[in-house]
Amino acid sequence: MPTTIVTGRDITFTIDGDTYDAQATAATLTIESTINTYQTLDGKAYYTTDTQGTFDVEMLADWTAGGSLCASLWNAADSAPNTPLAVVFTAASGSVFNFDVQPIFPSAGGTAPDAQTVSLSFTCVTTPTL
Amino acid sequence: MPTSIQANVRAPLATALAGVTASVYESVPEAVIPPAAIIVPGTPYLETTLISSSIQLKINFVISAAVAYNNNAGALDNLEKLVIQILAAIPSGYIVGDVSRPSIVALGSSNLLISDIDVSTYYKQEN
Repeated sequence: MPTTIVTGRDITFTIDGDTYDAQATAATLTIESTINTYQTLDGKAYYTTDTQGTFDVEMLADWTAGGSLCASLWNAADSAPNTPLAVVFTAASGSVFNFDVQPIFPSAGGTAPDAQTVSLSFTCVTTPTL
Repeated sequence: MPTSIQANVRAPLATALAGVTASVYESVPEAVIPPAAIIVPGTPYLETTLISSSIQLKINFVISAAVAYNNNAGALDNLEKLVIQILAAIPSGYIVGDVSRPSIVALGSSNLLISDIDVSTYYKQEN
């Protein structure tokens, strides 16, 4: 099998239908599994009791832009904090993850003279499907 | 409408600087008439920083502030005033970096005192 390389240029994603390509500098989906280990008479046995997904996004703040994504996130977290947002995350062509995240407030502000950035860590409320 | 770095970044930056008391060039001119503000590419010039396959870049520029170098104290004072004017005129959406140590550049028969101002912005290509 030939070596396959995918890069950040292959990533695209939408949150609640909004495309974040123009602002996002990084996007990572991580699933943590809780695995219990049992020492039995026959050796170790493993059992997965839980999984929890986290979707981390680094993006350039766009508070002043038309159709601000930061403002969309803020409004969602403010007006409907318990209504999950649908995420479609494409890691590479053909590898599309679908899941829902709980709305969170984006941070605001930054450090002179750099561009203002926003770090978001969404909690997945559904297990991502591939 | 298709975008270009010249039309959507360099020209608007030059327009924003038009209010300073200096000749403003959006690219390196054949002849510089001091005092002058010259927008030239920085190093690295274009950085790919955003995800996805569309053309999205961080653009690094150097704005060279140049004044006539007739006498040391006067030239430095003029250069400092020009740099302050340029810093005040840089539009929002630009990351403003450091101002380099002034240096003397021989240009034709005249000497110029020049400092470089590092600025950066982000650009997305629309086709």
